[in-house]
Amino acid sequence: MAENLPLLPRFAERFIQGWAKKRQPPASHQIEIDRHHLYILPTRHGVLYFMVLLLILFGAINYENSLGFMLAFLLGSLALLGMIYTHQNINKLNVHIGRAEPVFVGQDMLFPISLSQKTPQLRPAIQLRSSTSQISHAHLLNTTHTNSQLVCTAQHRGYSSPGQIKLFSEFPFGLFHAWSWLNLDSRCLVYPAPYAHHTPIIKSDQELNGSTTNIKQGTDDFSGIRQYQAGDLPNHMAWKAIAKTGKLQTKLFSNETSQDMWIRWTQLEPALDTEHRLSQLCRMILDASKHSLNFGLDIPGTTIPPSHGLQHKQQCLKALALFGL
Amino acid sequence: MKFSINKADLQTLSQHPVFWVVLSLSLVITPHLSRFPLWSIFLITCLFSWRLLCIKHPRWLPAKWLLLIIIIFSSAGLFFHFGTLFGKTAGSVLLSILLAVKLHESQSRREYMLLISLSFFIIVTNFLFSQSIPTVIFMLCIIVVLLMSMITINQNNAAIDNIAKLKLSIKMLLQALPLMLIMFILFPRISGPLWKLPEEEKTASSGLSDTMSPGNISNLIKSSAVAFRVQFKNEIPAQQQLYWRGLVLWYFDGRTWERGKQNITPEPSLLTSKNLIDYTITLQAHEKKWLYALDMPVDIPDDIIYTNNFVLRAQHKITSLYQYHLTSSLDYQIQREISPWEKSAGLKIPPQTNLKTLLKGRELAAQFSQAEEIVKHVLKTFNQDEFHYTLSPPLTSGADPVDQFLFQTKRGFCEHYASSFTLLMRAAGIPARVVLGYQGGTINPLTQVLTVRQSEAHAWSEVWLQGRGWVRIDPTAAIAPQRIEQSLDAALDVNEARSLHMQLSNSVFKELLFYWDAIDNRWNQWVIGYDIAQQKQLLSRLLNQQINFSDIVLLLVIGFTLALLITSLFIFKPWHKAKVEPVVEAYATFCKKLSAKGLTRETYEGAFDFSHRAIALLPEQKNSIQLITRLYSKLRYEPSQSDKQLSQFKQLVREFNPGRTPKS
Repeated sequence: MAENLPLLPRFAERFIQGWAKKRQPPASHQIEIDRHHLYILPTRHGVLYFMVLLLILFGAINYENSLGFMLAFLLGSLALLGMIYTHQNINKLNVHIGRAEPVFVGQDMLFPISLSQKTPQLRPAIQLRSSTSQISHAHLLNTTHTNSQLVCTAQHRGYSSPGQIKLFSEFPFGLFHAWSWLNLDSRCLVYPAPYAHHTPIIKSDQELNGSTTNIKQGTDDFSGIRQYQAGDLPNHMAWKAIAKTGKLQTKLFSNETSQDMWIRWTQLEPALDTEHRLSQLCRMILDASKHSLNFGLDIPGTTIPPSHGLQHKQQCLKALALFGL
Repeated sequence: MKFSINKADLQTLSQHPVFWVVLSLSLVITPHLSRFPLWSIFLITCLFSWRLLCIKHPRWLPAKWLLLIIIIFSSAGLFFHFGTLFGKTAGSVLLSILLAVKLHESQSRREYMLLISLSFFIIVTNFLFSQSIPTVIFMLCIIVVLLMSMITINQNNAAIDNIAKLKLSIKMLLQALPLMLIMFILFPRISGPLWKLPEEEKTASSGLSDTMSPGNISNLIKSSAVAFRVQFKNEIPAQQQLYWRGLVLWYFDGRTWERGKQNITPEPSLLTSKNLIDYTITLQAHEKKWLYALDMPVDIPDDIIYTNNFVLRAQHKITSLYQYHLTSSLDYQIQREISPWEKSAGLKIPPQTNLKTLLKGRELAAQFSQAEEIVKHVLKTFNQDEFHYTLSPPLTSGADPVDQFLFQTKRGFCEHYASSFTLLMRAAGIPARVVLGYQGGTINPLTQVLTVRQSEAHAWSEVWLQGRGWVRIDPTAAIAPQRIEQSLDAALDVNEARSLHMQLSNSVFKELLFYWDAIDNRWNQWVIGYDIAQQKQLLSRLLNQQINFSDIVLLLVIGFTLALLITSLFIFKPWHKAKVEPVVEAYATFCKKLSAKGLTRETYEGAFDFSHRAIALLPEQKNSIQLITRLYSKLRYEPSQSDKQLSQFKQLVREFNPGRTPKS
């Protein structure tokens, strides 16, 4: 559900945001929303409601209808109370942000958010809007804690922070929009986006193997056949089996992990710019890791010796993510 | 297509915004239904049910052109039915249909909120028809449902059950009531409408009509609705003197009495004794211009017209509660000199009908020389002959209803007696006219307020006698004196069907009815009738000084701000400290004891890390520190806890003394 602040043109909202930024406390992984950083304005529905209220009031004056007066005043009082309740729905709310798991550029960073309050009150319909305008919901239903996630699309490689987060609520009546801009301190490692195509990397694999010096010979024992998967090396194709069955099959070797290979900056076309290069290297790392190859990474400034496993993969991707930063 | 409904479906339905919007709309329309044409009720019901079905089957939502056709046809139907689209009733039907149609276009929060806001508007249109206490209670219930709907629309799929919503809505409503009350009392009122009220379509009105024919008063008698209430300044006159004059009927066509042409008597004259009665009448809206007054009104307010018939008329139709202050005299003489117009109108006899009555009249005129004697004789006949006073007289349907009554059925209600008596007088050459109004009333012992109900509607005669002017003659008093001296109930035969109200007032509920009457009266006086005059009077009395407009505005601002402050205090509850779990509280005591020794627990520090530091500092306390820490983590983080462990933990913390070596 999009926000609907009718009384606020874009430039005014930007002005308020700028003003709020100046008075914002320094970033921290934990923030308690207080009334100095809490803003509230009527929503579009609130304005509509107010217009109906005025209509009722004028009708009551004209017809000298006492109960019409009462209804108008009751609605007015309810709206005012609604404003206080909306304010209280996020006032003194504790927001804690955690670390997000690394993602690739273009993917959504998921920052774990924990909302807490001292006494278990009903504070439903709290919404969080990330800097990339994704909205997530959280409800404190008579509990002291609840967990949610801040969803934010990763746009650059390297360390990415959640940026300015808007926490808002319109509960209970939707007549007022109470919000606070949060400067939450957390970061998420963003890897370069993997290049979309596998083939160019796979092709260079043979040449790559040939150029490396430390191939262990005679150790690749054939251990079986499985169905072809995207990214399988062409020299592992089980041609005989393919001829028999008509389906693509791949030979498996028990010692694949022991086969060292290098993924090198230099082995890509020299015309490529840095980001494309990183993207292709990223794809190569992913593919190599998928096939449980023993691979090393060699990029300017960083050399990671051949190894395998999740940790190694992450180390290599991190090196790509932070390259040149 | 299957329409099976199971429990899970109902559960999701009861959390769906559309369900709540439909519920709200149907509730706000309900009080209007009695005024709606039947087809519109059917249409609205269909539209509502269809929208509910569309919750599960969104593709069944009707197309825009179909909705447009519905609107066009129903507007045409309403125009045909009411002759306008903008009257009170026509307008509320049209608005209801429009909302029911709009419902089919609504699939987002914005549209639901629009419908709920407009529902509030439909509530206020109902107040134009009824402002009674039961209406208000019903409306408050509806408002709670509307608030619950607003919560449902804005809850963003939070799992809040309906009980919690109900509680929250009622809580907020209760918090809003004092604020509303202050606004209601202090909001400056202005007199008179802001714009000209639209001409109303014909609405069914309650109370007397301006004609009288056999049967129409006895029909009205069945209603126990309040006609007006009277607060006397001093003592209340005797029951048989309470004749509430409403209308004077001159023209008779043989069956029905009407007002006829305007009485053009040049100068009506009124002689009264010095003994005057002051009273205030609070008249219920009866959609008519005439007002009621105790026979005979002497002093009237400036804005009321005093007609030649000694009948009062307001400037405009009484469409809401109307209060006026009068002075009347019980001893009076009017028109000792009869005007030519009155003489001719008062003797006019419809030709070719009721011939027997006319003959009888002429006989009487020949028999007696004095008019008084004729009157006396006729009343005596009513009293001594086989005449009966009954609410359900036999139908007098022929062309000569008066003849039928006087010479055949001899059973009738006040209108039969008044009508035949007046005609008889005219036939005997005595100018006579019919007066419509009310007779009697019930005094509420709690408030000393006299309540006059529709069941006290009455008709009587006035005859013009030489030297005395127009004299009130009530033939009903001759046949059923109990009706005049006590009440209708006393005058009726045991077997007569009585209204529910009449039955209740004879039972143990009598007291309760008086309480209700007193409350209703207060409600009318202080709530419905609260206007600029009452506001000034109330505030002047409260503050002991004269109040003007700007004072009221100032009071409003101060009063409302104060009330809002107090209410928000109750919401914020600054005195309300966060409730700490006893385990945490006891552990805090433990930490405090240690910090006195110079060992402060850091905010990030876990309980076990802290215990290691503590043991390093106080190795002799190792056992108790370990025990406390273990118990703390157990009580705090493990799901199963016993009170015994908690008290043990508290005990340990209490006994813990970092400055003392434990006994070995």
